Amino acid sequence: MPVVELAAVTKAYQDKVAVHALSFRIEPGQMFGLLGPNGSGKTSSIRMMIGITAPDSGAITLFDKPFERSSLRRVGYLPEERGLYKKMKVLDQLVFMGTLRGLSTEEAQKRAVAWAKKLDIAHSILKKTEELSKGMQQKIQFISALMHDPELIIMDEPFSGLDPVNATLLQDTLLELKALGRTILFSTHRMDQVEKLCDSIALIHQGNLVLSGRVREIKSRYKRDRVHIEFSGDESFLRSEEIAEAKNYSGHAEIRLKEGGDAQKLLAEAASRATIYRFELMEPSLEEIFIQTVGGNIDA
Amino acid sequence: MRNILLIAKREYLEQVRGRTFLITTILLPTVFLGVFYLSFLSGKNSGVGKHIAVACSDPALGAEIRTEILADTEAKAKVDLFDAEMPGMLMDSDRAKLVSEVNDKTIDGFLWVDVPANGPVVATYDAQTAGDFVTAERLQSALNQALLRRRLMQSGVAASAADALLKTVKVNTRQVKNGQEVTSNAVSSFYSAYIMALLLTMTTMIYGLNVGRSVIQEKTSRIFEVMLATVRPHEMLTGKLIGIGAVGLSQILIWVGAGGAFAASALGAQYLNGNLQIHISAFQIFLFAVYFLLGYTLNSALFAGLGATLETEQELQQYSPLAALPVWISFSMILLISSNPNSFWVVLASLFPPCTPIVMFLRMGSQMPPLWQIGASIGLMLLAIWAVLWFSTRLYRIGILMYGKRATLPEMMRWLRYS
Repeated sequence: MPVVELAAVTKAYQDKVAVHALSFRIEPGQMFGLLGPNGSGKTSSIRMMIGITAPDSGAITLFDKPFERSSLRRVGYLPEERGLYKKMKVLDQLVFMGTLRGLSTEEAQKRAVAWAKKLDIAHSILKKTEELSKGMQQKIQFISALMHDPELIIMDEPFSGLDPVNATLLQDTLLELKALGRTILFSTHRMDQVEKLCDSIALIHQGNLVLSGRVREIKSRYKRDRVHIEFSGDESFLRSEEIAEAKNYSGHAEIRLKEGGDAQKLLAEAASRATIYRFELMEPSLEEIFIQTVGGNIDA
Repeated sequence: MRNILLIAKREYLEQVRGRTFLITTILLPTVFLGVFYLSFLSGKNSGVGKHIAVACSDPALGAEIRTEILADTEAKAKVDLFDAEMPGMLMDSDRAKLVSEVNDKTIDGFLWVDVPANGPVVATYDAQTAGDFVTAERLQSALNQALLRRRLMQSGVAASAADALLKTVKVNTRQVKNGQEVTSNAVSSFYSAYIMALLLTMTTMIYGLNVGRSVIQEKTSRIFEVMLATVRPHEMLTGKLIGIGAVGLSQILIWVGAGGAFAASALGAQYLNGNLQIHISAFQIFLFAVYFLLGYTLNSALFAGLGATLETEQELQQYSPLAALPVWISFSMILLISSNPNSFWVVLASLFPPCTPIVMFLRMGSQMPPLWQIGASIGLMLLAIWAVLWFSTRLYRIGILMYGKRATLPEMMRWLRYS
């Protein structure tokens, strides 16, 4: 029973088709990545999933039922365009959002304080939102989306604008929620995060689905023709005949082998000239797959 | 319904806790009452305590004019009888002397009365202030009284009989309310209705614009996206209208409470039953609340829809004359309304929804409009609110999610079709 299912969903604004016959499903407990360049239709798809806009055609099911507003109580949403009431105190803001999602005032207060402690913003809970930094405000939004303990968590670019410490903190929180069985959908440009966090992805471009499936399965469709080497010493092996393209980051090289290139030969060449600390033969990264699939047609 | 109430509560608390609420609650009535009292005082004191010289080619008539002016005790005037260089004749040098006295501010003005042997009497009043029409009126009345008295006596009427004939009568104003005569002061009745109309206008306009501003703030802060994942657009709009409307009603309740406390105090009783003679009935207060709610909802619905199509508060400011237009129309009719509150055009303006609250209250200053007209005006306002809400909710639904640029008219038409 999928938590979310889109079946041939289409949405157009005047002459522009934002989403075209989009279909994918998100299974319970999955961390799902919705990928695509700017303007590819990610936000439009998410908005339709939670009823902010309606599809022109196609069907959306949420928790195995056609979309109905009562299902939204089971959804937590962090939009790409962050929005908070700037003049409100943080606690009041969180309690307001919690009660709107069905919590009692007391329960909302209790949960807001607990989350604030967990995300290290308890000291700011009585301040006005406008007095806080952007990163802190993002944490408040994050809490606001999660405090009613939703079964489905939808996050549009959740880590954008965060410093590495806070990005890791939120990432770990999402992983904890996943471990608790929550289903998570997030859209992002950051392929490294997708690769690290997601079980499945859907890649959309110009409103069309161009790639979808489990990350592991998608990557296995591609040949293992990427080599990552950590080394010291003579780097002349990077001009080997086995290599089509090499990027050398002083001691760490990322290599794409030629069609039919032999990784073992390359290893022997490298080992004969330099000291090798790591030699890894792998499929292309999601970023490479993304660029390869979307090609030069990125509008961003 | 729960969501609407939660949103209304949030709006209410945010506004009531704000500094603007405190300032407008205290400042608005203080300023208006100040303006009212000043107008009243200035009306009462205009043309009072003037120092005037009377120059007349007929010294006896001059003395009679002086006596007439001094007889008007309210004027508290100081009147000098000018001694012409050549008694019985006024010359240019006399005029120059008086002009120089006015210029030196020794006197406030002079009445120049030339009585030719054959021909009509010619009189002019020269003063420091050109617009002192109250003094000019008083002088004219005094001069005419004196001339009339002289003509009567020249016709053989005895002095005592002439005095009896010329005795003036002061007309006191009383108003018939609900079949009862009450002593009223026409000026203060008019001003109290004027202040209520002004207060009503200001509050409905301020709170209407507040709704528009609040929509734009939520749009620019992108809070809509979060909210719409939880509540429907119409719930947001309704909650906002109820919340901000409740703020306005609270403000009115505070004013009514403060007014009631003042009226109950000894000082209030002295003022209200003394010179001012203000009669504001409970029905008028009730109507004030009703017209506030209707005027507010009409303005707010309009500005909520408009706000959703705009990007910045500056853009909203450009549209504020739209809210002020009915005010201009209504106040431009003020003389007609006060003198003839039941004339065709006044009744028509009071039934035109954007002008209804103001014109109705201005009419009440002179005469309570018939109940059917009050009922019809409320019905028409409800109809107008329904129509404006129909458009606004459609613009709001789409507009709040459109960022980046102000919507053009064709775009708005498309939004109306989409909804």
